[in-house]
Amino acid sequence: MKKLLLAAAMSAAIVANAQAADPGITDNEITIGLFAPMSGPLTSFGLDALQAAKMWYEEANKKGGIHGRKIKVITEDDKCSPNDVVAVVKKLVTVDKVFMVHGGSCTAAAVAAQEFVTREKVPHVMLNASGDNAVIPPTRYVFGAFGGTQRAVGATIAEFAVKELKGKRIALIAHDDDYGVANAATVKAVAKRLGAEVVAIESISPRITDVTAPMLNIRAANPDVIISTCYPAPAVLVAQKYAEFGMTKIPLAQAVQGIPVPAGFAKNVGNDAAFASFYYGSPLNDLTDGPKQQKWIAMYKQYYPDRTPSAFMTYGLPSAMAITRALEKAGRNLTRESFIDALETVDFDSEVVAGPIAFAKDRRDAHRASIFVKYDGKNGHTRMPGVYLWDGKEGM
Amino acid sequence: MSPLVLQGIASGVVTGCVYALIAISLVIVYKSSDVINFAGGEMVMLGGYIGMFALIGLGLPYLLIFPFAAVAIFAVGALFDRLVLTRTRHLALPGQSALVAMVIGTVGLSYVIKGAVRVVPYTEDVHRLPPISAGTPIFIGPVVLQQQDVAIVLAAIVIMVALWAFFSFTMAGKALRATSQNPRAASLVGIPVPLMSMTAWGLAAALAGVAGVLLAPKLLLTPDSGIIVILALAAAIIGGFTSLPGCVAGGILLGVVQNLIGVFVSSRAISLAPFLVIMLVLLVRPQGLFAGKATAKKV
Repeated sequence: MKKLLLAAAMSAAIVANAQAADPGITDNEITIGLFAPMSGPLTSFGLDALQAAKMWYEEANKKGGIHGRKIKVITEDDKCSPNDVVAVVKKLVTVDKVFMVHGGSCTAAAVAAQEFVTREKVPHVMLNASGDNAVIPPTRYVFGAFGGTQRAVGATIAEFAVKELKGKRIALIAHDDDYGVANAATVKAVAKRLGAEVVAIESISPRITDVTAPMLNIRAANPDVIISTCYPAPAVLVAQKYAEFGMTKIPLAQAVQGIPVPAGFAKNVGNDAAFASFYYGSPLNDLTDGPKQQKWIAMYKQYYPDRTPSAFMTYGLPSAMAITRALEKAGRNLTRESFIDALETVDFDSEVVAGPIAFAKDRRDAHRASIFVKYDGKNGHTRMPGVYLWDGKEGM
Repeated sequence: MSPLVLQGIASGVVTGCVYALIAISLVIVYKSSDVINFAGGEMVMLGGYIGMFALIGLGLPYLLIFPFAAVAIFAVGALFDRLVLTRTRHLALPGQSALVAMVIGTVGLSYVIKGAVRVVPYTEDVHRLPPISAGTPIFIGPVVLQQQDVAIVLAAIVIMVALWAFFSFTMAGKALRATSQNPRAASLVGIPVPLMSMTAWGLAAALAGVAGVLLAPKLLLTPDSGIIVILALAAAIIGGFTSLPGCVAGGILLGVVQNLIGVFVSSRAISLAPFLVIMLVLLVRPQGLFAGKATAKKV
């Protein structure tokens, strides 16, 4: 009996020590450091997503918190800058002593924190950044890609191009950076699996000012579907040349990163002919203002009645959902390591994005699905049937 | 010649005309003050935004946004010369040149302009000026050109001819040329050299601003659009940094070469094209294709 009591006392002491060893946890609070661009030119990517995450945490607190602990949030502005992200994360961890950090809307910035959080063994769950370089290959402390990695983008758009648009001769215009290389790898792999041929791959600089030559090359290759994974500015140039060179009978599928706001994209293209056969991808489970997204928009309006949410607002929810689920699973005896172990087991339908949110011991990219929308350049958005999913292996 | 090549050449001439205008702006500044204006690209960008403001914000007719932007950016260039460069020149110690400090001043101006533009919330998103002329494309054989493209070339030609006439036939133009050739001699014959320097900077800036309005319908305006100055620098180096006609030839040559490299080599090589052409010109004819004898000057 004495030995049993002694063992119990020692166990309690060890657990208490473990709890005391991890900052950001008290008997009734878990402190999370939340960061995103809240000022500067990229505010639209992060502010509403951050506020949506805060909203989710508030909802959890209203239901009594997680195992009796309320979630306390400390927010910081990272301006989408790598230097600012590192500074902000260091401050949250070393000064504010948060339990974990939840943030990052811009990949280059979000990835910059990887070295620090890994060294300090602090869980980092990205907000809405894809963070390709930090989640593939997976490392223990960084979780991200709640909107999908560029590999998932390439794989799903290729599958859509072949299966829905019946493409047999695919042309791809992508950037000459890591993301473009990732897009091209999965596009080629999926096209090959489905029996289609990639007849042209044009790699262009993200800063290109004239896409005449790449589009002429694509036209000369005689594709029956064109895929663009360009960023917003080059994507507009591509759509312009596509119309100017009379290529509009060939369907053009634009990946999500190039068309953050469809109405703005159409205005910038300035040519209705470009939208005769135009499609864009989205990681959401519906159109931005579609029926499945309405409950989140309504919830957001309750919390922030004076703010019209940007198209990226709901992107902040899946990561917050994953965190609260993992906190629940980790139980009352919460540590950073037990939280990570729990996070590795989450697999759920967020009712926000098209596919499941899932992690594993060897997986840190949360989401791998896309839907596609036909867009007429005005108010006509037609959701195309199906959800397209990347298996995480093809093109790797 | 294949339609692919012809289209590449035609489109290259259009973008080359805009590079040429910006290059002329750089050369005017260089000839008047020996300074390379690293804020030239930001002046182009600012001109585009001011043009957009004039058209959409103030509702001015399209043709009027050109002089509106020109006057606004003229003021920026003239004030920069009067408030910064003039003082920088006077701060140089005897026997030392202020050129390096002045060039650094232009770099500073580029950051100031970019930062000021970023503060305006409207510039957070990507924008494009509506085309000068929309409508059915123009077909010249197998080549297709938008009406916008033709308007750009015509506007560029008109501006270049106007500049030539200004420098050749007007007293102010001749005074500017005299000041750029020999400031001391110009001063001795009664030409107000500081005023000429300010005018040269204002004129160069105005030209950059007009180039920005011409470019804004074709490209997208962001606060980072000033990067185009690299292409204009390449055009000026190719043509010769002391030759205005050289700038025109250099700009058009660069536009065409970029497209042909993209068609025949790789799209990845497009961004390398300006630097490859610069290296080739510097190896074969370092003063530029249209400048006079090569000279070296200690800075």
